[in-house]
Amino acid sequence: MIVPLEHILILAGLLFFLGMGGLLAWRANLIMMLVCIEVMLNAVMLVFVGGSARWGNADGQLFAIFIMALTSSEVSLALAMVVYLHRRKRTVDTDVFSEMKG
Amino acid sequence: MKLYLALILLLPLLGGLFNALLGRMLPRRLGEAIACGVIWGAFVCAVLVLLQFTGPTKIEYGSWLAAFDLQAPIAIYLDQLSLGLTLMITFVCGLIHLYSVGYMREEPDFARYFALLNIFVFAMLVLVLAGNLPLLYLGWEGVGFCSYALIGFWYREEKNATAGRKAFIVTRVGDTAFGIAIVWMFQISGSVSITQLNAMGSLIPAGIVTALGILLLIGAAGKSAQLPLSVWLPDAMAGPTPVSAQIHAATMVTAGVYLLARMFPLIGGSEAVRAAIALTGGVTAFYAAASACRQRDLKRILAYSTISQIGYMVLGVGVGALTAATFHLLTHAFFKALLFLAAGCVITALHHQQDIFRMGGLKERLPAVYWPFLAGALCLAGFPLTGGFFSKDAILGAVFERGGPLYAGLFALGLLTALLTAFYTFRMLLVVFHGEENLPHPHPDPPREGEGIHSALPSVMTVTLWPLALLGLLGGILNLPSYLGVHGLLDGFLGDMPGLMRPEPLSHGTEMILQLVAATVSLAGLGLARSRYAGSRRAAVLAAEEAGSKLSDFLLNGWRLDDLYRLLFIRPFERIARLCWKGVDEAGIDGALDGLARLTARLGRLPAAWSSGRVATSLFGLAGGVCVLLAYVAWLITG
Amino acid sequence: MEQTIFYILAAVAVIATILAIGEKHPVHAILYLVTSLFSMAVIFYLLAAPLVAAFEVILYAGAIMVLFLFVIMMLDLGHPEQGLSPHWREWLPALLLSAVSIASLAAVIVSRHAASPFSAPPGLAIREVARRLFQEHGLAVELISLQLLFALVGALYLGKQPKKGNSK
Repeated sequence: MIVPLEHILILAGLLFFLGMGGLLAWRANLIMMLVCIEVMLNAVMLVFVGGSARWGNADGQLFAIFIMALTSSEVSLALAMVVYLHRRKRTVDTDVFSEMKG
Repeated sequence: MKLYLALILLLPLLGGLFNALLGRMLPRRLGEAIACGVIWGAFVCAVLVLLQFTGPTKIEYGSWLAAFDLQAPIAIYLDQLSLGLTLMITFVCGLIHLYSVGYMREEPDFARYFALLNIFVFAMLVLVLAGNLPLLYLGWEGVGFCSYALIGFWYREEKNATAGRKAFIVTRVGDTAFGIAIVWMFQISGSVSITQLNAMGSLIPAGIVTALGILLLIGAAGKSAQLPLSVWLPDAMAGPTPVSAQIHAATMVTAGVYLLARMFPLIGGSEAVRAAIALTGGVTAFYAAASACRQRDLKRILAYSTISQIGYMVLGVGVGALTAATFHLLTHAFFKALLFLAAGCVITALHHQQDIFRMGGLKERLPAVYWPFLAGALCLAGFPLTGGFFSKDAILGAVFERGGPLYAGLFALGLLTALLTAFYTFRMLLVVFHGEENLPHPHPDPPREGEGIHSALPSVMTVTLWPLALLGLLGGILNLPSYLGVHGLLDGFLGDMPGLMRPEPLSHGTEMILQLVAATVSLAGLGLARSRYAGSRRAAVLAAEEAGSKLSDFLLNGWRLDDLYRLLFIRPFERIARLCWKGVDEAGIDGALDGLARLTARLGRLPAAWSSGRVATSLFGLAGGVCVLLAYVAWLITG
Repeated sequence: MEQTIFYILAAVAVIATILAIGEKHPVHAILYLVTSLFSMAVIFYLLAAPLVAAFEVILYAGAIMVLFLFVIMMLDLGHPEQGLSPHWREWLPALLLSAVSIASLAAVIVSRHAASPFSAPPGLAIREVARRLFQEHGLAVELISLQLLFALVGALYLGKQPKKGNSK
């Protein structure tokens, strides 16, 4: 273990909440929102890998791999949806898509 | 006797129920025959009872209301007063039922009519024969209900239904006072039996007797259309004419007089009550007679004259001349029913024309109606030697005999009223039957040959007038003045009644002078009417009356009593109702509830704004939640 | 030595991420993110996870980011002058929330693990990782594979043209 786990966690937290801030701010562009989600998922992977290194357990790495598989499927679906929505309304601004209004 | 009395009551009730339940399904003739038959059967029973009558009796048939001290059995108290009235009611109503067969011959809803008419007779007989006050009240309300239903018989016209409601509501005022009086009497004496109450008259404190008397007077005023509750009777003429004759002339409206006479031993003990009764009667008699002088509607003239004549009766009761009052009640029932029935003939013959200025010269065309009508008019005007003359004179004599400034004033008022009565009676007679025909034909096509205007009258309508005319004219025989050397039949009959206060008989000389005065007054009224409405001045006078003036408008509207009520009661009531409706209900209650609903909706819109359907809003919520949760955890751990 | 490299890489990752999310041009943003991901991959390698590091480079930086670029170019979104970038008024609450969250998290981490000692990490061979994956998490692997299949089907369905002649 080259650095204390706390440093890894703080780095992960920093990345995670940067991603969250971007997600909240980039409401006008669906693509950028997805990018920010990638950043957040990356931070989570970092936590898993850090934990795996800290306790010498392979499960952390496995979950990081699972997350990666999950992310790839998520991104492929999400981008397909972006294409679909853009075809419908010629925009990627999420505020335009408010049909779920209660 | 017990059986006959029960039959008197049960026959009309059964007839009424029969017509009410089965009348529609059975042939018309059968319904009519049953309706008339039961009344005549009751009359026969009443005659049989008269033959067996020896003195006042109480007969109890069964228990009706019994709770603790309150005992109100189905009991009949038969004495001279109730027996006389029973005979009169069954006889007059029998004739009117026969007349109705003719009058209502084109009415499809005859079953309802005859059912109500029969039930009315039943209720009236219960009222007259009741041995205790709750039973009397039952009859009292029963006649009120039948009156309401029959005034509004042709209820499809708004006017008639309104008249019915008005009669019901105005009489209700009096009924309430009467009801209070009954309860109070029970509370004081623990009894509701009429005889027991009358016997206790001297034991009850004078102040309470006065209050009870005033309450009963209000009750009687409501039923008998005395001031100030007289406004309903002229409007009640909206009903069929036989109904007016039966209910609003002969029987029901005299119930107030009967009640006062019946309870007189109790309430007569108070001088104030007697004065109030006499004053009410005298003033009402004058008020109604004055109003009658300018009416144009044939039936309204008769209605006002009924109010006026009942005023005489109440005046008679007030001075303690119960015999005279009853005497006048009987003769009045005969001649007023006669006048109403004759008026019904005229109205039918003229196709429901009631305005007397549209009539005239009917003497030749309707002789079968003219002569009975003349007889009735003579009685009403108090023409010498008719029944009305003797009975009215008996009352005036009793008033004169009382002396004192109040009663002297009332006597003068009574004489003035007699003059007015003679005047308006002959005005009516002369305008309707004499002179030239003044009939703008409602039908453009002239009546066909052989079908004169009176050919439509069925004979049953004119024939029933004769017995009444005879009884009215000869009614004086019932109670001839004693100076003729005969003992009055009614005097002897009613004189034995227990508790009846017999006024000191007048000396023969005074009585003769009084009768001469009355005859003069009557003839003067006749002459006055003749000078105006017969001969050369007739046309001018009629035109002038038709044009109207301020005074005649005032009299035409019954001294504007309706307007006074509208101002005093109806307008404030409407205003309060409007306040309750608009101010309290709509603005207050509805407003509060609506406001609450609006507030809730507005509150609901606050969180609803968060479900905008936008992704960004949801994300903000999510992130905010995470943030708060983390801050809370940090605070827990570090703090 | 490794520690220094870790902190440098951490700084690179954070700065590249900040630049990525703050960039108006989507293509540039993706490129910044690729930078960030590369540094993350090296961090994974330093943390004794070479397999994850390799996948990071191949999958994330290689496949996913290329997919992003592809879509951006296909939808022709590379025009920052179209006003799609967020206003500072939109940044403000987002950054506020993030700052509070980071501060809270840092406070928690520092107060709980300030004195956690180093422990010698046992080496994890790739063989060991693979054995764990397929022996103990076989079901998860199957589920992931099914999920990937569903994503494939869904993406195909969503991307299908409604009509034949209506080409993009």
